[in-house]
Amino acid sequence: MIVLSKLADLFEDLAKRHRLLPWLIAYVLLLPLPFVLAGLFNEYLIDLVNRICLFILLAVGLNIVKGFCGQVTVGHIGLYAIGAVTSAVLSLEPGGFGGALGFGWPVWLSIPTAVLVTAFAGLIIGLPSVRLQGAYLALATLGLGESVRIFIAVTPALGSSTGLMMIPAPSVGSFTLDSFTSYYYIVMTAALLGIYFSFSILRSATGRAFQAIREDTTAAAVNGINVIQYKLLAFVFSAVYAGLAGALFAHMQPGYLHHNNFTVIEMVTLLLMVVLGGIGNVWGGVIGAIVVAIAYDQTKDLVFYFMDRPIVIQPLVFGLSMVLLVMFMPRGIGGWIEDFQRNRRFIRRSEERLSGSTRNT
Amino acid sequence: MALLETRNLSKSFGGLQAIDNVSLSVDENSVHGLIGPNGSGKSTFFNLLTGVYQPDIGSHISFNKIDITNKPAHYIASQGLARTFQLLRLYGELSVLENVLVGYHPHTKYGPLAPLIMGAEVRRQDRLVKEEMMDLLEFIGLAEHAEIPAAELSGGQRRLLALGRAIAMRPKMLLLDEPGAGLSPVNVDNLMATILTLKERYNLTIVVVEHILKVVMATCDTISVLDHGQKISEGSPKFVKNDPAVVEAYLGREMADEDIKAAMNA
Repeated sequence: MIVLSKLADLFEDLAKRHRLLPWLIAYVLLLPLPFVLAGLFNEYLIDLVNRICLFILLAVGLNIVKGFCGQVTVGHIGLYAIGAVTSAVLSLEPGGFGGALGFGWPVWLSIPTAVLVTAFAGLIIGLPSVRLQGAYLALATLGLGESVRIFIAVTPALGSSTGLMMIPAPSVGSFTLDSFTSYYYIVMTAALLGIYFSFSILRSATGRAFQAIREDTTAAAVNGINVIQYKLLAFVFSAVYAGLAGALFAHMQPGYLHHNNFTVIEMVTLLLMVVLGGIGNVWGGVIGAIVVAIAYDQTKDLVFYFMDRPIVIQPLVFGLSMVLLVMFMPRGIGGWIEDFQRNRRFIRRSEERLSGSTRNT
Repeated sequence: MALLETRNLSKSFGGLQAIDNVSLSVDENSVHGLIGPNGSGKSTFFNLLTGVYQPDIGSHISFNKIDITNKPAHYIASQGLARTFQLLRLYGELSVLENVLVGYHPHTKYGPLAPLIMGAEVRRQDRLVKEEMMDLLEFIGLAEHAEIPAAELSGGQRRLLALGRAIAMRPKMLLLDEPGAGLSPVNVDNLMATILTLKERYNLTIVVVEHILKVVMATCDTISVLDHGQKISEGSPKFVKNDPAVVEAYLGREMADEDIKAAMNA
């Protein structure tokens, strides 16, 4: 807690000098990370960090629609799939392996196009939110998200059961970004920018409108907020995050996509990140993404033998932790952070008042 | 001049006629009272005016010479018609300052996408608006609580914040749904005094629903009485007070004249 307090003080002091200073320092500090990891441990950890960055993008994006705007969506992973498959198909060479579609676009063009396509898909996934709420909205978005995966699974042009292979990596001039380390700089930059823009939204009239809709939709409408427009906007924002994460995932080595990357289990993992992090708290979501991604990676191969039959216990562990979290820690890590910040503010105000009164006497 | 006008306003929920052919007009800069027994349709009337409910066919509402019948709630709000709710409906997890900032929303000068592309301008605008909203909080006496979540305020402070959030919309007309509910008589008097000061300061027209008849009689220029969704009486406080139809609606036929007089003067 003391470390956290010092860190928060430092962050605020830096932000006072220039608003972007803490962000730039964080960026510079993150630059040598792959070399540190490769030196101390192994290359595999860089790959893990890259995937964590993508999960951060996904979690921060989901937080906008679910945390800020209060719309329960379980279709986020479908948007991720749309981003990934769109960018992959656009960039693959025509006449590729196994009847997969290919347009041969340069990667730097296919990624933004995929993001735009996903944003539009987000609008469609958001449409049920105009009329539905809570569990009904969750069901509708779950259906839409899952139907995306099934569509991919049965369409040979999109990879079907074999998946899409040899998806090209992006390149700068003659240098191809196909190593873990070089790709790290793309995904890390994207994740940091994603967090930054999420704060920009939160701390503007747009973010306040989202939160007002979450807190009380009727009051928000009477306060002059176009509820339908803002709900859909939240879905589009989160879709942009999911589309970018998906496209970056497609071009990450080994350049292979399979519809199993987009199952309901992945969606539960994603929800776990946001819930553990604390719904509505940006930093909480980031911490949740890091913790859950590492836990996911470590428990992936955990097999328990019952009467000589292997049982994969990861889904059980994740499902159970979700239930326990919702029961005992509904505000997640973000709840701790908020309480901590509030206490600090209270202490500071009290100190100011005390020092003020001693000066007066 | 009439700022708000309804003609043949009706609303039925299934078989229940909640509002029945109500025609009513509210003059600019007046304080108009709306009274009636429980379930007489006062809150429904407000919900129809502000677009929370859609009225039945044949109804007509105009505000500031603009037809607002069947218009969405956010459009009506942007025309300058603000309201408070009986159950307040504050944004509990947002801070007091953020609550009034949301009220200011219709006047935000940048679009919803601006925070992503012109951050500096958005921050400059927000700083100005925050100063203005802090002035408002200062005026209603909530400035020192600006940073705490609305849910942590006391009951009386929450009523003030609900009022502040509506004022932040810079409305032409303010609809108050039982502003004094749950307050002690002294606090109600203070609240009504605050409301009248706000009316002068922001040049408002006010329509108020209130059960405490003493307050309504003392502050309103005109009073309309609803019963079973129909307008049964309208006029000055003095006229309404002595209208037999009103007395009957409130107290029933059986009560003796003396008792009625005593109850109305209490």
